[in-house]
Amino acid sequence: GRQPRRSVAMFACVAIVGPQNNPLFIQTYRSDNVVTGMQEDPIKFHYILHCSLDAFEEKASTKKSVGAKGISQGASSGDCYLGLLYPTEDYKVYGYLTSTQVKLILVTSTFNAKETTVRQVFEKLHKAYIDAISNPFYTHGTKIESLGFSKIVDQIVSATS
Amino acid sequence: NTLSSSSSSLKKKKKNSELFTLTYGALVRHLLLDLESPEEVNKQLDKMGHNIGIRLVDDFLAKTNTRRCRNFSEATKTIAETGFKMFLGVTARVSPVDDKECKIVFNENPLTDFVELPEKLQQLRYCNLLCGVIRGALEQISMKVEVDIARDPLKGDDKFELHMKLVEYVNEEYPFKDD
Repeated sequence: GRQPRRSVAMFACVAIVGPQNNPLFIQTYRSDNVVTGMQEDPIKFHYILHCSLDAFEEKASTKKSVGAKGISQGASSGDCYLGLLYPTEDYKVYGYLTSTQVKLILVTSTFNAKETTVRQVFEKLHKAYIDAISNPFYTHGTKIESLGFSKIVDQIVSATS
Repeated sequence: NTLSSSSSSLKKKKKNSELFTLTYGALVRHLLLDLESPEEVNKQLDKMGHNIGIRLVDDFLAKTNTRRCRNFSEATKTIAETGFKMFLGVTARVSPVDDKECKIVFNENPLTDFVELPEKLQQLRYCNLLCGVIRGALEQISMKVEVDIARDPLKGDDKFELHMKLVEYVNEEYPFKDD
């Protein structure tokens, strides 16, 4: 993974994972461990992300059974946004599932994370993701290496600070 | 959800061009897989463009009721101001250098939406089809021209710039030489 970025934003980690749980994009941001005050090891976030993948399945099926509208309604944020997947000791993990089974994951380091902000960030990320995969030189299913995309993600994240 | 008519027609325009953009991207990608060398792809794009241009010009002249352009300056002005708008939805400006040379400048280009050129493909002239189209179109009205991409945002420039040079006026009666 790449070096954690300096940012005073509420997000510690942004990730995009494909339908086969293949990682497409992971970016961690500077985040100090609450107890030690030291820069958090990115590995910790990879672990958190890994654990969140199971939560996706659970959440997605619960949403369906609670009378959520079917896929034919289109990928409006209401259908895609899954909300809080699970809290860890120091972080909260939010999930967003597109109609093509692509998972967007946000790990927040502040406990004051507003749901509306999280939703908005997911929507912006979704749009940016769509533009990135529309690049004819991007091979579907592989890691997104577009510099333009990571810049946009940084912008989206730092706009929330 | 009330949008003003201008912004909603802009959105519609963007939506309509997505298939066009993606199709062109798939074409370039496919050519790269087949030919491997960016230089070969550039040549092929120019050839394909040429093929399109020789047909497109008739369509254009009919639709716009343009009187036959008598010289290079008139033709390039028409291409930039009317042609680009009509076929690409783009506002282009022509800056003449002299009566045999000019530049066509434009900021947007539906062919290159979402495109990011990888490092190893810096030799690729992604929009070369466009150059071929212009070359072919002008050939049909008796002008042999050279068209190059002088500035390209895909390579870091701030805008698109095509550089056009008139090689010669060709008499219609004589058959064109093969390139």
